[in-house]
Amino acid sequence: MDKVLISQVGFSTMHKVVTVDMMKDILSANRKLADQNQALLDEHGIRAFDFLGAIGSGKTLIIERLIDKLKGDGKRCAAIAGDVAGDDDYRRFSAHGVAAENISTGKECHLDAHMVDHALERLPLDDLDYVFVENVGNLVCPVDFPLGSHKRVVVISVTEGDDMVRKHPAIFAFSDVVVINKVDLADAMEVDPDSLATDARRTNPNAKVVIMNARQGRGIDDLAEALGL
Amino acid sequence: MHEFSVMSQIVDAIMEEANKREAKKIEGVTIELGEFTMLGEEQMRFSFEVLAKGTMMEDAVLVFRRTDGEIECACGYRGAMSSSEDAAHGSTLILECPQCGGGANIVGGRECVIRDIKMVVPDV
Ligand SMILES: Nc1nc2c(ncn2[C@@H]2O[C@H](COP(=O)(O)OP(=O)(O)OP(=O)(O)O)[C@@H](O)[C@H]2O)c(=O)[nH]1
Ligand SMILES: [Mg+2]
Ligand SMILES: [Zn+2]
Ligand SMILES: [Zn+2]
Ligand SMILES: [Zn+2]
Repeated sequence: MDKVLISQVGFSTMHKVVTVDMMKDILSANRKLADQNQALLDEHGIRAFDFLGAIGSGKTLIIERLIDKLKGDGKRCAAIAGDVAGDDDYRRFSAHGVAAENISTGKECHLDAHMVDHALERLPLDDLDYVFVENVGNLVCPVDFPLGSHKRVVVISVTEGDDMVRKHPAIFAFSDVVVINKVDLADAMEVDPDSLATDARRTNPNAKVVIMNARQGRGIDDLAEALGL
Repeated sequence: MHEFSVMSQIVDAIMEEANKREAKKIEGVTIELGEFTMLGEEQMRFSFEVLAKGTMMEDAVLVFRRTDGEIECACGYRGAMSSSEDAAHGSTLILECPQCGGGANIVGGRECVIRDIKMVVPDV
C-alpha cells in the first residue's frame, strides 16, 4: 500500500491509497429479481413466456394468435407489452379480452426484471394460467436482463435478411425457441428460411426452431407445442 | 445500448463505497465483463467519462478485463465454448459441446463485476 503525502494532491492530512476488493456483480441484482418473479409465477401456477426479437418481426401478432388459441382451450392468459413509447401493442392485446399491462421503458432499450415485477403486481395472478411478455424490439440488450419467464422465444422474420442469426448469435443462444416468421414473404425477399433455421440450430443446438407465417396462422400449433402449451 | 445505465449503477456503487471510507479521490477501477454480456468497452468508457465528470472519480483509470464464459453439458463437460472460428461464418457463439457435440448451456460469463477500486482515504 503506497502512502501519499496529501499536500501533493491538495489535502491537508495524511492520506493513503488503498485498493478495495469489491467483487460486485452489477447485473446480479436483475437476475435476483428475475428469480423472484419466477418464484411468484410458480406460486400461482403460472407459466410465463418472454418474446424477444427484431423490431416488427411479428412478436405481437404471434402472441395474439397464441392467446386466441389458448382462449379457445379455456385457458386464462395475460400479456405484458414492453415498448419504448406508446401503448399500441397493449391495445392489441386488450382487444382479445385478456388482462394486459403496458410498460413504457422511456429511454431504456429493453425490459428489466424490476419493470416486469411491477407489471405482475397489477395482474390478477390468481386467475391466470399463462403470461406472455413482449420485450422491446431489440436483438442485443435483452440478453443481459432475464425477466423471470419460464421460456424465451426469439422472433425474427425473413424480411430482416438471411444474416440475422450470424449477426446476433447471443440472443439465439439465450432463447429456448426460435421463430422464423413471415415465410410467406420468403420468395419476395429472396431469403431461405431453412438457412436461417440452420444457423439457429448451429448456434443453439438446444433451441427448437419454428417456421411461421403468423399472418395466416401457420406454425402457431408448432410453437404451442414447442412451448408445451 | 444500455452501457450508460449499467455504468451509472457502477458509478453509484463506487460512490457508495468511497463515501463509506471517506475517500477523497478515486484513482482507478477494475471492471470485469463476462464473455456473454452485451456490454461494449468503448461505450462503457464513454459513459464513465460523462458520469464521472466533476466528481472525485473524474481522473480514475478504468481497466477492463474480459472474463471467459463457461458452458455446461449433460455429458458432464464444463468449460470454454468450442473454438468457433470458421471460414464461412467467422467468429460466432456456438453452444455445441466440444466433448460430445450435444447442446450445452451457458453457466458463466453473464457478469459485469466491479473487481476493485483504488482510492485515496484518510490514513487513520
Ligand atoms: N406478411 C406477413 N406479415 C406479418 C407476419 N407476421 C406479422 N406480420 C406483420 O408485420 C407487422 C409487424 O407485426 P407486429 O406483430 O406488430 O410485430 P412486432 O414484432 O410486435 O413489432 P414491434 O413491437 O414494433 O417490434 C404487422 O403489420 C404484421 O401484420 C407474417 O407472418 N407475414
Ligand atoms: Mg409488438
Ligand atoms: Zn419498484
Ligand atoms: Zn440496452
Ligand atoms: Zn457434452
